Amino acid sequence: MDQQARQTDRREFIKYAGAATALSALAVPRVFASAGADHKLQIALVGCGGRGTGAVVDALTAASYPIKLVAMADVFQHKMDESVTALERQYQATPDLVHVPDEKKFIGFDAFKHAMDALQPGDIVILATPLAFRWVHFQYAIDRGLNVFMEKPLVADTPSANRMLDLAKKADAKNLKVAVGLMIRHCRARQELHKRISDGEIGDLIAMRAYRMHGPVGSCFSTSRPKDRDELLWQIERFHSFIWASGGLFNDFYVHQIDEVCWMKNAWPIKAQALGGRHFRGDNVDQNFDNYSVEYTFEDGSKFFFDGRTMIGTRNDMSSIVHGTKGSGIVSTSGHFPGNCRTFKTQNQDKESTVWRAKQPEANPYTMEWKDLLEAVTNDEPYNEVPRAIQACLVANMGRMAAHTGQEITFDDIQSCPHVMSPGVAEFTTGSPAPVLAGPDGKYPVPTPGVTVDREYGTA
Amino acid sequence: MRLNLPAFALSASLLAQTSSAAVDFVKDVQTILEKNCVSCHSAEKSEGGLNLTTHSTAFTTGNNPPAIVPNKPEDSPLYTRTIVPNDDSTLMPPTKQGGPLDHTATETLRRWIAEGADWPKDLVLKTRAKKSAGDPNSDDLALVQKIHDQIIERAKADNKFGDYAAKIPKTGASYQMVAIKGGEFLMGSPPKEKDRDGNEGPQKQVKVSPFWMGKYEVTWDEYEPFMITPIDRFKNGTRKDFDPAAKYPDVDAVTSPTAPYVEMSFGMGQKGFPAISMTQHAANKYCEWLSAQTGHFYRLPTEAEWEYACRAGTTTAYSFGDDPAKLSEYAWYSANSNEKYQKVGKKKPNPWGLYDMYGNVMEWTADQFVPDYFQRLKSPSANPLVRPQTLYPRSVRGGGWASDAVQLRSAARLGSDPSWEQQDPQLPKSIWYLTDAPWVGFRLLRPVEIPSVEEMFFYWNSSTDKF
Repeated sequence: MDQQARQTDRREFIKYAGAATALSALAVPRVFASAGADHKLQIALVGCGGRGTGAVVDALTAASYPIKLVAMADVFQHKMDESVTALERQYQATPDLVHVPDEKKFIGFDAFKHAMDALQPGDIVILATPLAFRWVHFQYAIDRGLNVFMEKPLVADTPSANRMLDLAKKADAKNLKVAVGLMIRHCRARQELHKRISDGEIGDLIAMRAYRMHGPVGSCFSTSRPKDRDELLWQIERFHSFIWASGGLFNDFYVHQIDEVCWMKNAWPIKAQALGGRHFRGDNVDQNFDNYSVEYTFEDGSKFFFDGRTMIGTRNDMSSIVHGTKGSGIVSTSGHFPGNCRTFKTQNQDKESTVWRAKQPEANPYTMEWKDLLEAVTNDEPYNEVPRAIQACLVANMGRMAAHTGQEITFDDIQSCPHVMSPGVAEFTTGSPAPVLAGPDGKYPVPTPGVTVDREYGTA
Repeated sequence: MRLNLPAFALSASLLAQTSSAAVDFVKDVQTILEKNCVSCHSAEKSEGGLNLTTHSTAFTTGNNPPAIVPNKPEDSPLYTRTIVPNDDSTLMPPTKQGGPLDHTATETLRRWIAEGADWPKDLVLKTRAKKSAGDPNSDDLALVQKIHDQIIERAKADNKFGDYAAKIPKTGASYQMVAIKGGEFLMGSPPKEKDRDGNEGPQKQVKVSPFWMGKYEVTWDEYEPFMITPIDRFKNGTRKDFDPAAKYPDVDAVTSPTAPYVEMSFGMGQKGFPAISMTQHAANKYCEWLSAQTGHFYRLPTEAEWEYACRAGTTTAYSFGDDPAKLSEYAWYSANSNEKYQKVGKKKPNPWGLYDMYGNVMEWTADQFVPDYFQRLKSPSANPLVRPQTLYPRSVRGGGWASDAVQLRSAARLGSDPSWEQQDPQLPKSIWYLTDAPWVGFRLLRPVEIPSVEEMFFYWNSSTDKF
C-alpha cells in the first residue's frame, strides 16, 4: 500500500471515531409502526453465559415495545440450565417474557442456526458467545434478516476484522440494525463529557491514561485441562485464557477503556509500543501476561498510556483520565458505571478546580445501549456499530501485539497482520481439534517478545 | 426490511399456548416429586408418615392426611408447604435438603392440584438424583457441625473474657476484638430526638448477652485475601477442585467469593481501609471462614447488639451527646470524608473503645429490616433478632462516608435495597458483590455463649440466594 492510500485509509477509519455509521441517506419508510397492535419483537440468545443472560434482562428492561425471549443456544447444557433458572427467577411475575419451550433450546455447535431459525426477519438475536464465533454467527443473522446485538470484543485477529467489516456492509445493505456491547458509548454522562471536551472545555487532549488493575477474574488464568475434558470445549469454556477465543484478557478486559479514551480524543492511535510479562504464574497454562503497559501514539503526537495488571495483593485501579491544554477530565472514576465524570481547570483534579460533574445518579449504560438499539429498530433509523467497534478491537489488538512481540506496532502493521488465530472456526463441531494445543509441559504457547515477532505466539 | 404480518400472528398464538396447557402428571409433576420429595417420603423412609410413591399412598398417608386435596391447592400441604418463607420450619423441601423449589415447580404443583391432581393409578415413583439442580456445595450442615465441634473444644481451654488481638491463621492479617459486658438498655430514639424517623421507636427495654465486638470495621487487609483467591470456584463459592474425600481443612470447604469483574475498592484505597461492597451473604461467609480457622464463633451483630455497643451506655443521639457539631471528631461522613472512605481508627472511639461506629462505612447487621421493629419488640426483650424472610431489605447501621449527620445517630436505621446491585451486568447476579453499595461494610461479633449447630448454620446461611 502506498503512502497516499494509507493516509486516505486512516482518514476513513478516523471518521468512525465519533459516531456510528450514518450509512443510509435514503428515506426509509417506518414499516415498524404498521406491524399491528399485538406484534411482539422476538429475541433469541446465542451464548447463554452470565453476560448474554444479563443482556436479555437489559433488553426487557429497556423495552418500550413488547419483547419476548423465544429461543436459546449454547454448546453447554449447564450454561443453558443456569441461564434458564436465572431468568425464571428474575421474571417470576411475568414468566411468559422469558419462557422458552424445550424444543426451542438448542445445544451444540450448530445450535445458533436453530435458534435464529426460530425468529422472524426483523427480530433480534443476541450474539454473546466467545468472540471467535462472532463473524460466523453474524453472517447467519444477516442471511436470516435479523437485527443483532453482539457482545464485545468482536475479533482477536485482523482477518476476522476484515470479515466483520464486509458483513457490516451487507447488514447495512439489508437495513439491519446492529449494536455492539461497548455500552460506555451509550452512557449519558460520558456523552456529555465527550461533548464538553469536543467543545474545548479542557483544551486539546495531550495526554491520556487508563488503568485496569485488579486480581484475576473470569477464566483468565487456567491450570491444566482436566484429562476428561474435551480440548476444544474446555478452551471455549475458559475463553479468557486463550487469545483465539477472547482476544486474551487484554482485549476482553481492556477494550472498554481503550475505546472510551479514544472516543474522548476523537481519534484512533496510529501506533503502539508496550511492555508486559508473566511474574507469578506457577502452574498456570494459559496464554496471558499478568501485566501490560502500553504507550499509544496519536497522529498529533499526543500519548495514551494504558496499564493493565492482573495480580493478587497489589493496588487496584480501574480509571480513565484525560489531560488537556486547558484542564483535565475523568472519563471513568472506578469501573464502567457510574462514570462519575468530571472536568477540571487543573491537572491535579482537586475539588476546588472542578468545572463540571456528571449529575448523579446516572442511568445504567447497559440499559441505555438497548434503549438506543430498540429506538433505531422501531423507528427504522440507520444503526450499525460494527465498523467503529472493529476499530476499537484493532487498536486493542495493536497494543496487545506490541506487548506480545516486543516490537513497535503501527496501525498499518496490525491492519495487515495475516495471522488467523482460529482457522476453520465456521466448521467447528464436537471433537474438532482446538486452535492451540499444549506443549509437553502442559502449557499453551505463551508470547515470547523478541523471539516470535511476526505474530503473537508460536505453535506448540 | 418488510415485516411479515402472518408470522407475527403465529408467534402470538404460540405465546398463548405456553401458559394455558394443562399440567400433565408424567411430563410435569412426576419429575418434581422424584427429584425433590420421594427420597424422604417413600415406603422405606416415610418422613412425617407420608409416602409419595403411589397414587393410593400419596392421597392417604401422612401424620395429618391428606397431603393433596384435588382442586384445592390452598388446602394441600404438598403445595402450601413449598411456598412458606425460607425460615419457616415447615418448608418443604427443607433448605438443608435443597429447598425451596423454584417458582416454576411450585406453580406446576399448584396448577396440577387445581386441575384435579390426576395421578395414573399404576405408577410407582422412584427417587431420582437431581441432575445438576445446582453446583456442588461443600458448605453444608455437616461442615458447620465440624466447625461447631471444634469451637466447643477450643472453648474448654480458652474461656477468658477480655479484649484481644489476633492474627488470621491463613493470611497473617491482624484484627482486634473488644469485650462488651452484657446488660440492659433502652433501644431506639425518644420522640423528642431531632430528625428522628418513626421507625426508631417506641423505645423498648432490651437485654443483651455479653460478646466481643470488632474494635474496627473489617479492613481490606483482612477481607481481600478471603475475597480474591487463585482458586476456581462455582458461583456459589465451592472450589471446583473440591473433593470430600481429599480431607481439606474445614476452612477450605467454606464457600468463598468468586473473583469480582471490576475493581471493588473503587479507587478509594486498600491498605488500612475498610472493606466494602460485599453482600450480607459474603459478610456471613467471611465470619464462617474466620471461625473455621480460629475456633471462635464469629457472626454479624444483631441490630440490638449493634445499637447497645454503639450507645455504650449513653442515651443521647450520639454517644458523645446531642450536638452533631462534634461529629467530625468521631466520624467520617458527608461533611468531612472527601467523598470516600478513610482508614479505620483515625477518629475518637466511643466510650467502650469502638472506632468508626458512626460513619466511614455502614455496617451490616443480621436482621431483616422491618419498619415496625419496635412494635414487634416485647418490653423487656432479650437478644432480639428479626429473622430474615426475604433477601431485601436487611438492616444496616451507623451511616457511611456519604451519609449526613442525621443518618449517623445511634438509633438511625436503614434497609438494604436491590438497587445496591443494579449495575452487575451478569445474570444470575453475583451473590458476593453489591456493585452499587461502595459505602457498606461490616464489623465482627463473637458471642460469649456458643450457640447450637443449627443457630450457627442460620447465621452463616441467612442470606443465601434461595430467596
